[in-house]
Amino acid sequence: MGDVRNGIATRAGAMLLAPVGWLANVFDAPLRMLQRRTGSNGMAVFFLAPNMLVFGIFVLFPLVINILYSMTGGGALFLGDRTFVGADQYGRLFSCGSYLDPKSCTEDLFWIAVWNTLTFVVLQVAMMVAVALVTALVLNRELRARSFWRAVFFFPVLLSPVVVGLIWRWILQRQGLLNLMVFEAGGTPVNWLVERNWAFAATIMVSVWAHVGFYALILLAGLQAIPKDLYEAAEMDGTRPMRVFWRITLPLLAPNLLVVLVLTLIRAVQIFDEVYVLTGGGPGTSTLFLTQYIYEVGFASLLRNPGLASAASILMGAVLVVLTLIQLGIARRNEQRGKTR
Amino acid sequence: MSQITLTGVSRAFGKVGVLHDINLDILDGELIVFVGPSGCGKSTLLRLIAGLDRPTGGAIAIDGKDVTTVPAADRGLAMVFQSYALYPHMSVRQNLAFGLENARMARAEIDARIAEAARMLEIAPYLDRRPGQLSGGQRQRVAIGRAIVRNPTAFLLDEPLSNLDAELRISTRAELAALHERLSATMVYVTHDQIEAMTLADRIVVLRAGRIEQIGTPLDLYNHPANLFVAGFIGAPRMNLLPVKVAPGGTGRSSLTLDGSAGFEIDGNVSAVNGDVTLGLRPHHISLADAGKGDITAHVALVEALGSETIVHTKTSGGQTMLAVVAGQCAVASGDTVDLKFDTSHLHLFDDTGLRIGVS
Repeated sequence: MGDVRNGIATRAGAMLLAPVGWLANVFDAPLRMLQRRTGSNGMAVFFLAPNMLVFGIFVLFPLVINILYSMTGGGALFLGDRTFVGADQYGRLFSCGSYLDPKSCTEDLFWIAVWNTLTFVVLQVAMMVAVALVTALVLNRELRARSFWRAVFFFPVLLSPVVVGLIWRWILQRQGLLNLMVFEAGGTPVNWLVERNWAFAATIMVSVWAHVGFYALILLAGLQAIPKDLYEAAEMDGTRPMRVFWRITLPLLAPNLLVVLVLTLIRAVQIFDEVYVLTGGGPGTSTLFLTQYIYEVGFASLLRNPGLASAASILMGAVLVVLTLIQLGIARRNEQRGKTR
Repeated sequence: MSQITLTGVSRAFGKVGVLHDINLDILDGELIVFVGPSGCGKSTLLRLIAGLDRPTGGAIAIDGKDVTTVPAADRGLAMVFQSYALYPHMSVRQNLAFGLENARMARAEIDARIAEAARMLEIAPYLDRRPGQLSGGQRQRVAIGRAIVRNPTAFLLDEPLSNLDAELRISTRAELAALHERLSATMVYVTHDQIEAMTLADRIVVLRAGRIEQIGTPLDLYNHPANLFVAGFIGAPRMNLLPVKVAPGGTGRSSLTLDGSAGFEIDGNVSAVNGDVTLGLRPHHISLADAGKGDITAHVALVEALGSETIVHTKTSGGQTMLAVVAGQCAVASGDTVDLKFDTSHLHLFDDTGLRIGVS
């Protein structure tokens, strides 16, 4: 039976590869000629060109355009129609009596968004890492139907952010599911999305719920990579469970925790879609985050200012570049540690 | 130091029994080796003694105290793992101190114990290195050091040499034997390597399929294997095992016939059902004889010249493979016909159930 299956697989493979072989033969001669003319470096450029072209059009070009926009003023959409203002947009963003008091700033909404984002980042990252760690520790235990529970925690990651926002709006709105349960339990319903603190807490809770499965998975992989022998050695040594966690699990999980920390940070700084659908930045400006500010200023407000939005996005991009470099540095260090361990 | 007693110990995983009715007394200060092929249950048995696993039946006692349900940490034992299980993020010093810190031992006492172990195992220069910066042999010493500093009542060693290269394995084996001598500690040692078992053990426990096949000193097992399995497992190269027909010979003698061809006589009477027995003869007890003066004639299939001795692989006329180890170097080659002479004073016979039969 196995032989028959192998035979079919071999034949199917051969049939699939036949056109590839035919194409290779067709292109062989012209490619050889090209290599003779351009050399091996030229061939590398030839093969990289399609990808570089896509990267150039969709990443590099918009980035350059964005920088140029940030140095122009007015409401015109096309770059040619806009006035060059140099660093004025940046100056406007940084024009503040006190950065701690957004009302003293020329662009108060920007600083409100900055402080909201900073608060969100600190609270959400701490909560995300803690919840992901606890989830991973629980899922790493010998649970009944462990695969099922892992799937349950990962499922929200597969949902579109808009769907996440809509689901939670339906749950948290005044006449939503949560208030129904509170009412049934004899409590007083709360306006979760209208009261400032509750709305802010809701944005953190929803984003943690939506993404924790992904980070828990990274930590779970780290936990499973810790050799079981180490725990048995600790058991022989009479190590108490909390000491095992602090002295063995946590240090050995540190590389994964760092990756999770930096990825969560990057994503938290970029937070937009699910919060926009959930609260729209409200009540007032209490859940207005940086990306929404950029979107509102650049596209959605009546007095749109693409230059100001571009300047704000360049500043946010700079923060993200720093965080990404940190992440790359950590990844490289982990790789080197892995080689010496 | 301590005595470990296993009474009727068994372990099953679901419906699969891994250990069956193990009864064993490990004496105080003894180095006992569990040996057997992969999957025979030797590591499981060690884990049961360690307390890392619980038996499904029977009892384990240390110095007469039942510890069957006592947690691993409270048994006073120390274990050296096959993978060494050193904490990779801690220095050697921290690895050694970890277990002592758990016991809330005074710092001065911890430092003194580490210094003593480091001196004994010659690892003092590496105390501030991490395990990743050590060679396999050095890691192995640190793993032993971690066990020593705890001053345990017994040491459990789970294939501690299996990750070392051949040369290092031999030297570390000697160091382990010396360490046992110095500490006079009870040691339970697991290995699948019968040479390790023979060279280290005071007594060997041979396991197969979760059952004890034989317990005895290395030479006991070598000279008087209780059954075909032990006969084949202990000794290298392995014992030649050949089906023979036994019949009464001259007065007080028995005649053994190999392959239905030429036979030979031995002293004593052998009783066997239908006369079918298995003859066991170690390669070292077969020699090359002058033409016409051997017990049987065989064709040489392969010659392994090791310098100090030569291993001659032969085929009998019935197609049985028979190995002979000849001292020194000898001038035989593949395809030659040789006469083999058996040292019948070292011959073993086994009945059709595989059990050893005596010659009366």
